[in-house]
Amino acid sequence: MKEKVNIIVMVDAVGALSDRTLHNGNLSLIDDSTAGSRHQGTPDLVTAVVPGQVVHWTPIHVDVQTPVEIQSIEFLSGAAVPPPAETAPEPASDWTADEAAPGGTAGEPAASYPVASYPVEVPVPAVDATASNGFKNGDLLVWEGVVPYDMVPGVPYRYRLSLKLHEGPNSVLYVDSPALLRV
Amino acid sequence: MAQQHGIIVLFDVENALRTRSLDGNTYWFDNMKFLGSTGVGTEHLETIVPGTYFLDGSQATEQVLNWLPAALGSIPPTVPRNYLAEQGRAEERRTLDELAALNTEGGVNEADVKRLQEQVGTYAEDPGGRGFTAAKVLDVTGKATSSSDAYNYPAPVITDITGQAVAEKIIYPAQYGSPDMVYDGWYWAATVDTSRPGVYPYTLHVQLHELVKRNGELVWESVDLTCESSLKIITDPKRNGFTGAGLGVLPLPPVPAPAG
Repeated sequence: MKEKVNIIVMVDAVGALSDRTLHNGNLSLIDDSTAGSRHQGTPDLVTAVVPGQVVHWTPIHVDVQTPVEIQSIEFLSGAAVPPPAETAPEPASDWTADEAAPGGTAGEPAASYPVASYPVEVPVPAVDATASNGFKNGDLLVWEGVVPYDMVPGVPYRYRLSLKLHEGPNSVLYVDSPALLRV
Repeated sequence: MAQQHGIIVLFDVENALRTRSLDGNTYWFDNMKFLGSTGVGTEHLETIVPGTYFLDGSQATEQVLNWLPAALGSIPPTVPRNYLAEQGRAEERRTLDELAALNTEGGVNEADVKRLQEQVGTYAEDPGGRGFTAAKVLDVTGKATSSSDAYNYPAPVITDITGQAVAEKIIYPAQYGSPDMVYDGWYWAATVDTSRPGVYPYTLHVQLHELVKRNGELVWESVDLTCESSLKIITDPKRNGFTGAGLGVLPLPPVPAPAG
C-alpha cells in the first residue's frame, strides 16, 4: 500500500469564472492511487483508498498568474448530524427518484436513508488558519488527512470540493461529485 | 497554489524623454492587491510577497515575479512583432502603385509627388542597436509618417534589476528567453527568498529610444533611465486545512451521502 495518495486539482480559473461553473472542462481531478480509482481526469473522480493512508489535495492553475486555492473539502453526509434548522433542506422535496435509484449500488447504509446530502460540520479552528497580515491567504492551507479505519468499504464518500478563485462574491465554486472509496 | 506575480510597468515615454527622468512617468500595477499590495496603479507600488513555511521552518511556496513593461500611447505590445514591418511594406507597395498610375497619365503634378513622398515616410537608423528599431517610422495607428512628433516609440526595454532586494539576495532576477514574442522574446522574472520578511526596494533599469536627427538622417538613440519600486515580504506558517493545525483523520460522516 502507498503511504500517500495525491489528488491533483487542475483548474482553468478564467474559464471557470466566466462560465460560473467548474464543469465544461474547467476542472480536472487526477490521483496516483494504485488501488483502482475511477473517472480520472474528470470532476467525478473516485479515489480508491485504504485506511491509514494520507490523502493530499493539491490545486494547480493552468494560468500561472491566476489565484486558485482550495476553500474547503466537506464530506457529504447521508444522515446522522442534521444541519441547522434554518438551513435544513426539505428532505421530501430534495430526495428525488434520480438520487434514490443509484443508491442501491452503494452498500447498505446509503440506500436506507432517504434524506438530502449536506456537508459534515467541520469544527472551525479557533483562529482563522488563512489569516495573513490582515488578509486571507488560502495558500497557507495544506489539504491532507488520514483515511480512518471505520470508513465503510465499497461505499463512495462524496465530498464537496470548494475552490476559491481570487476574491469577491462570485469567487467560490464547488462540485459535489468527487469521492473517496475504501477498497 | 500560489500564483505568480505579474507586475506591469507602464511608461510615459514621451514625457520621460523630455524630462530625462522616470520620476512621475511610471505607473505600476500588479495582481496582488487582494493579498495586500499597496499603491497599485501609481508610481509608489509596494508589491506584497506572501511567503509560507512548513512547521520545520523550510520555505513552502516559491514566489515568482514577472515584470511586463508597456508604453503609454504606443501601438499595444500585444500586436505581432512583425506588425511594424508589415505595415511599412504595405505602405510602400501602395505608394509604388500610385507612382505607376501617375506615370501613365503623362503629366506629373508636383503636389502629387509631394504627397507620395510623405506617404513613403521615413526610415530611422539604429546605431549599433537591436534590429527592431531599424525600420520605417510609423505613427500609433501604424501608418508611415515623416512627421517628427507623430511617431510610435519602440517598446521600453528592461535592461537590469538591481537595488537592496537584489544585493541582499531577497530576489534573484534574470532575463529569460521566451517563445512569447509580445516582449521581443525576452522577459525579466525573479524568484524570491521569503524567509526574511521586510520591505525591500529595487531599481528597474530601462532603455527608451528617442528619434533624433543626425547629419540629416533620423536615428533612434537609446536613453537609459531608472525607476524604483519595492517588495514587502511576509511569511506565515502552513496549516492543515481540515484541522487548522497539524495532520489529523479525515472528517468523514458516519453515513456517506447517497450517490448524487
